Amino acid sequence: MAVNGELTSDYRRVWLTIAIIVLIGLIFLPLSQVVFGVRYTFTVRVVALGGSVLGVISGVLGCFAVLRRESLMGDALSHAALPGVALAFLLAGRDLSVLLIGAGIGSWIGLRFVSAVLSTTRIKQDAALGIVLAVWFAAGIALLTYIQSIPDASQAGLDHFIFGQAAAIVESDIELISIVGVAVLLVLALFWKEFKLVTFDPEFAVANGFRVGFINTMLSTLVVVAIVLGLQLAGVILMVGMLIAPAIAARQWTHRLNQMVILAGVFGAFSGGVGAVISAFDSDIPTGPTIIVVAFALVVFSITLAPGRGLFWSAWRQRVDRRRFAAQNTLRDLYRYASAHGGAGTPVPDDFLRGIDDRSASLGLRQLKSARQVEFTAGGWRLTGSGVELAKEALHNLRLWELYRLHADELALPMLQEDRQRDIRKLLPGDAIAALESRLEGRQS
Amino acid sequence: MISLERALIDLLLNIFTREELNAFLRSPQNTATIIGCLIAISGALLGSFLLLRGMSLTSDAISHTVLLGIVVAFLLMTDVFGMDGDTSSPWLIVGASLAGVGTVVLTEMLYRSGLVRQDAALGLAFPLLFAIAIILVSRYAEDAHLDEDAVLVGEIGLAWANTNSHCYQHCESVTITPDHPAAKLTRQCSNCRELGISPRDDGAEFVEICGNCGAYSPARAWSAGLLQHQPHLVFFPKSITVTLVMGLLSLCFVVIFYKELKLTTFDAGLAKALGFRPGLMNYALMILVSLVAVGAFDAVGSILVIAFFIIPPAAAYLLTDRLSLMLLLSPVIGAAGAVFGYDLARGQLFGIWDLGAAIAFINQSLGLDLPARWDSSISASMVLMIFLFFLLAWVFSPRYGLISTFVRRLHQNRRFQNQVVLAHIHNHQYTEGREIELRVDTLHLHFRWKPEKMRRVLSRLRARGLVRMVDQLVELTERGDAHVHDFRKVMLATRNIPDID
Repeated sequence: MAVNGELTSDYRRVWLTIAIIVLIGLIFLPLSQVVFGVRYTFTVRVVALGGSVLGVISGVLGCFAVLRRESLMGDALSHAALPGVALAFLLAGRDLSVLLIGAGIGSWIGLRFVSAVLSTTRIKQDAALGIVLAVWFAAGIALLTYIQSIPDASQAGLDHFIFGQAAAIVESDIELISIVGVAVLLVLALFWKEFKLVTFDPEFAVANGFRVGFINTMLSTLVVVAIVLGLQLAGVILMVGMLIAPAIAARQWTHRLNQMVILAGVFGAFSGGVGAVISAFDSDIPTGPTIIVVAFALVVFSITLAPGRGLFWSAWRQRVDRRRFAAQNTLRDLYRYASAHGGAGTPVPDDFLRGIDDRSASLGLRQLKSARQVEFTAGGWRLTGSGVELAKEALHNLRLWELYRLHADELALPMLQEDRQRDIRKLLPGDAIAALESRLEGRQS
Repeated sequence: MISLERALIDLLLNIFTREELNAFLRSPQNTATIIGCLIAISGALLGSFLLLRGMSLTSDAISHTVLLGIVVAFLLMTDVFGMDGDTSSPWLIVGASLAGVGTVVLTEMLYRSGLVRQDAALGLAFPLLFAIAIILVSRYAEDAHLDEDAVLVGEIGLAWANTNSHCYQHCESVTITPDHPAAKLTRQCSNCRELGISPRDDGAEFVEICGNCGAYSPARAWSAGLLQHQPHLVFFPKSITVTLVMGLLSLCFVVIFYKELKLTTFDAGLAKALGFRPGLMNYALMILVSLVAVGAFDAVGSILVIAFFIIPPAAAYLLTDRLSLMLLLSPVIGAAGAVFGYDLARGQLFGIWDLGAAIAFINQSLGLDLPARWDSSISASMVLMIFLFFLLAWVFSPRYGLISTFVRRLHQNRRFQNQVVLAHIHNHQYTEGREIELRVDTLHLHFRWKPEKMRRVLSRLRARGLVRMVDQLVELTERGDAHVHDFRKVMLATRNIPDID
């Protein structure tokens, strides 16, 4: 039952997040028009649309890169696309699909190089990736410099593959991107089970006869396709941010792959579209870098605010826990001291309580006092009637936990995760509690 | 910095004449090669430790942030403090190094929070910092050196032109005031625009504007024609000084802290137990990496610099197992890459092959029309050359190379084949079944080998005089028998299996 409840709340949370993101996007559109004076010209609309579509594709595939710990592989592969673009231009001329095929081949050779180095030498992955990143990029730069010496004017703008060239996206490009994107998503949907399996448990996949090498290669190829499509928008240097930032942000909200993938797609679309619009505020703002900054803002938003994982959430939970522990510990100290010095109603000196841990004691006393479980008298802090009741209760609970720990196996009690702050009588069935109680009585007599 | 340059020039002037020195430094090739070598040496020394610590990509993170640090410091200097925008100013170096170390600390914090894995933390940090830097560059710093191309590839080919001048004789600094005979004065109406009148009107007031007033260093004074005697000058490229300082710092660091670096790299736990501070050593290394990345920024840009950190140590790592040898080899590989890289950029491979011929061949075979002169980015070509050396090391390394591994596997394979065949013969030679087991024409069936393979193995064994053929049966010679006993003894001893004979 508990597991089911968690799942439902998980789903609700993801839908809520998606709704919020869409809402922010919807508010942002008129706001940008009114406040920042963005005029939605045809170009701006095309670029924003292209940005969103590319954001969906790279966000979705980025999930696999992030979960397989291949974020840096994405960085190396996007740098590695550059020489492919340059060579394709040299050999076949300036046609977008040809350039993109060249980029894909460039990245793919980089990918094979990394696996060749890893399998035949003792060089580790980080260095192998660094080599591919630097060398392929250098080769691309060398070729681009050479291309610049060609007297023909048609090479203009080729170096925009380095930083992205969002402004040059035209309608036919969006058609191409959408067709390839739909194909990529279809492949993903068809091989969903296999991809999920090799991402989370490759050994199990091998043992069950899946062709892991082939599936891995297919997944890497899809990531390469996503990178290649995104190059126009973000450029080879920044593409990795476009790939992994939406996925990292999505990862904070959920523990389930399908939700993460959907959320990453939404985040990617949001950063692509909003980034493109922001860069239309002023002609000086480059589109690719702006999209990356928006995506990173989503990461910061998720890391701080995501329920259950986020920084605020854990800070708040820590605070709550500390307060609860402080109250319980202080109550226990009070009760033990008082019982040892002549009965539960004996006042306890202030120095004694604060001497142990001043901050925690003050915190605990303040809570106990406001609940009227303790009062300050001449001799020090004194437990009230309800305080004594509570302290006895807590002590009893603690003793039951200790007995549970000692005798759980012997009495064949159900398994519990040990949390002594919780009331054991609510966690165990009645007969189990009765067994423990009888043990406790036997012990005390 | 200036006094260091002066001392260096004094030293050089003992060996060369002033004219020789100037002519040498004025050549783009010499200056670029020297700078490339210095960057390669400092990068390789520090990169060796990064490689062994599995932190090679940290240099990537640092080089990206260094760009942001430089841009921010540059904007602060010029726009906030109103200083001169000079990319070799020490303030930039300080700011950028701080930024570099800051990134390392930040990414560590990010993945220690447990929310993001290490690779993802690094992968987030690079593009974000780079994106911010690019936005700042394209918005605010379009002038100066900080254009996008310089960020990518640096300006090593122009380093010779950015010099400090040092004067040795006839050093006359000139200050031109409006009273100076050479001052160029022009009269300008000061209130014309305000009152909307022409300078010829009566109410016009005039001020004298001096067009060329100010302090002139000897070099500038001579080129402005203010001096009678030509001053004896030495022009020293600024980048050489910066990279030289970085190189010396890295060298000193590695030499002085060799023991500490070695220990913390290979066994951080032991180092800590012995009272060394692995964390401190780590941050010292990061600071130096940042310094070198800043020093190299002008020359090779912020992305290609990581090649100088990663590739030479990776190549050296394939050649040797000794740290000291690796620290010697990797700078040599890097420097060689820098030297031959310059030639590559000008279309010459090792000064022997001309790339023009290759391009002509491609043109001819593919029917293209590419320009025959290969003239390309110097820094990128240096990286490609270093990579070529890496490939050579990968293929030809005596211990870990592809060829030696292949040959070793081949030998092992053959030895194994020899041994199983010999053992098979030995097992059956003295038994009843030898008529079946040892027939030459069916021997391959017992191993499920192809007949040709068995024929090859047998001819090898016969050539070594270990087996002979008797009546269509193979049998061991005395040497073969002894050989089987030898290797069985070794095998039994090493595997510790009880003798079954």
